[in-house]
Amino acid sequence: MVGISNKKQTNTTNIPVVFNMANFLVSSVHDMKNSVSMLICGLDKVLTSVEAAELSTHAELVQMNHEAKRINNRLIQLLTLYKLGQKIYPFDPQSVCLDDFLRTTVAQYAQLLKFRQIHLEVRVDPGLYWYFDEDLISGVIGNALNNAMRHTHDHILISAEEHEGGLVLRVEDDGDGYPPELLEGNGNVMQSVDFHGGSTGLGLYFSAMVAGMHRNQGTQGDLCLENGGSLQGACFVLHLP
Amino acid sequence: MHINPLDISTPATELNFSGKNVLIVDDYMEMRSILRDMISSCGAEVKKIHMATNGNEAIAWLKKVPFDIVLCDLILGSGKNGQQVLEEAKYQSLVGPSCLWLMITAEKTMEAVTGTAEYQPDAYLLKPVTEASLRSRLAKIWTKKAAFAEIYKAMKQQDYSKAMHLCDQRLASDKAHAADLLRTKCDLLLVSGEYDRAKQVLEDILAVRDLPWAKAALAKILLKKNDLDAAKHLLEETTEANPAYLEAQDLLAHTLQVMGDLEEAGNVLERTVKLSPNSVTRQKNLGQVAMKLGKLEDAERAFRKSVSLGENSVLRTADAYLGLAKACSANKNVEQALKVLGQLNKNFAADEVRTKALAVEGMIHHQSGNAEKAKQIADELSQSISNDSIHPDSDGALEIARLLLTTGDKEKAIQLLQSEIKNNPESATLLRDVAEIFDQAGMGEEGSRLIETSRQEAMLIMNRGVLLISKGQYEEAVSAMRDAYSAMPANIRVLLNLAYVIITYMQKKGPTPELIEEARHSLQAANELSPGESRFVRLSAALNELTTLR
Repeated sequence: MVGISNKKQTNTTNIPVVFNMANFLVSSVHDMKNSVSMLICGLDKVLTSVEAAELSTHAELVQMNHEAKRINNRLIQLLTLYKLGQKIYPFDPQSVCLDDFLRTTVAQYAQLLKFRQIHLEVRVDPGLYWYFDEDLISGVIGNALNNAMRHTHDHILISAEEHEGGLVLRVEDDGDGYPPELLEGNGNVMQSVDFHGGSTGLGLYFSAMVAGMHRNQGTQGDLCLENGGSLQGACFVLHLP
Repeated sequence: MHINPLDISTPATELNFSGKNVLIVDDYMEMRSILRDMISSCGAEVKKIHMATNGNEAIAWLKKVPFDIVLCDLILGSGKNGQQVLEEAKYQSLVGPSCLWLMITAEKTMEAVTGTAEYQPDAYLLKPVTEASLRSRLAKIWTKKAAFAEIYKAMKQQDYSKAMHLCDQRLASDKAHAADLLRTKCDLLLVSGEYDRAKQVLEDILAVRDLPWAKAALAKILLKKNDLDAAKHLLEETTEANPAYLEAQDLLAHTLQVMGDLEEAGNVLERTVKLSPNSVTRQKNLGQVAMKLGKLEDAERAFRKSVSLGENSVLRTADAYLGLAKACSANKNVEQALKVLGQLNKNFAADEVRTKALAVEGMIHHQSGNAEKAKQIADELSQSISNDSIHPDSDGALEIARLLLTTGDKEKAIQLLQSEIKNNPESATLLRDVAEIFDQAGMGEEGSRLIETSRQEAMLIMNRGVLLISKGQYEEAVSAMRDAYSAMPANIRVLLNLAYVIITYMQKKGPTPELIEEARHSLQAANELSPGESRFVRLSAALNELTTLR
């Protein structure tokens, strides 16, 4: 999409058709996003009225809600990548309280975690603040969390700490870990299309892109995938300067 | 420190909604009802929640009820959009500083990055809005408003030193708002003219983190000190690394304009308009630069956009209409040009605007070959100036002079231009505009000489009082500045210097009510011409001290 719409100034007959395609894609993504938003709002409304004890009787709704949020996140990632390519993304790093940030991010998954009986632990110093684009990093952490939820046995750990003048955000699970091909491709996320089994690679590409956009005093953020960690599973590690 | 999954769904902060009025603005019925349910389950009283389906309804509600919370969608179908509703509400003081305004958007907008602009909502909330995100946002903003309440109060009273003291006090303990407090402190140092202290604070901040606002603030200081090259360099670096930080883009365009690099200023504005096309002011600026570059079609397009964006906005400017009229005329569309002026007169009632529009109309007739009509308007304006029945602003005076030069009233035109130069001898932009008017009339060389003499004369008179003060000749200083004032009544430096010599005189010889009044009048006039000058702030403080002594 990125390369195509650069040609919008030319007047050859076939180009406008291609250009319209990019336009259609973008405007459709917008439109889908609005619909999905309504869907999520509606499902949230129903689910919040359900007592915790009865949640198991609404298994389908919980799953639907989760899938709707996944679609929403994907659409946001697509739009964001499009805008990044066009250099029109409103990148906006702000001072963020990590404790608040992680609570808000994981709160979106509370129901599903409860429902799947996954134990999620958040480790963060309440006094920790860092500069980053909250929306982008929230997308990255949400993506990692989604992935961890699919592959964990029953335990996920999210942590944030300052290390050697940078911020380290970790999402760890107690699953089987990343496949070796993926770990070898570390550093070149474009190649690792088959992300953790059956994924499109979009999430990882997005995350690496976002990490790299964060710069300070000559250093830039990066993304690292490892196996092991404190839960002996997959570790998604984001460094921000 | 550890949270288990049962905890994360229950928010940490309790919200107190008792007695609070809530307004929900959205054109979709479903969204309105979702938001109403959400805010009521956050704790709002149902009978205190009101709903509007469009901008006009929202304004009507805002006029009737003092709202504490407004949840407003950015896109509201036809008519005003959410931003325009917010602008009007703030402009008409329908919402106070304690009102919390959340703008709901489908995606992050460029405008959300600006940060501290006058017409910003308290926060942008991205769809889908969930109860958890709404709660945490409300709690965060309420805490912030509480933290800044005293500081904003002091700022409103222009008691900047108190505001700064409060910032420092809070900075010592309040880590959550440290970033905002530091930024506010820098703003305060800038408005009170403490450039060196501001520079120090900014450099300390930048030594740890590259923050675009801090770089832009540093550039502002460089601009104040007239170090244009350094300002340009810093802003280029900032906009390169943070293209979304529009304030820096606008500041860069402004700097380039002051430097006379219109071509590059136009490029920056073009680029910025692409990022954020819906700013009435930026489109107008682009139109003006394009016009000066002779890019008539681009100018017309930008002015037209500014005018149409301004239709629903309190921020609309007469200059966009005037620019559009001129661009149409230059593009040989006289009928259109006159029609635009008609619209202008319908929308703006101020005398200065009408006068300016009349001068532009005269030029349009001249360009279309109707010399008679042009001459008639020129005579009318010339007569009004002689009678002292119109008082054009600076732009207006230039427009009138342009018309008078083309219709043959050379003497009056030169008089007008000289007085404009004397009122503003240090503005490179004005001097260039005047030179351009002389050029257009084929008087380039004579014009340059006239400009230089007027400028030198003005500089001499402006500083005479201060020179006398430094020699201890207090009475002579006051009388010299009074003479300067009657010769150059709209010269900001003269006004401030007059206040300065009177205040210094009173500090030596004791205050009198007449002198206090004269100094105050002079300061107020200066502040109207250029609000918030650092010298105004300092001199006002010195004057207040004298008044309390009595």
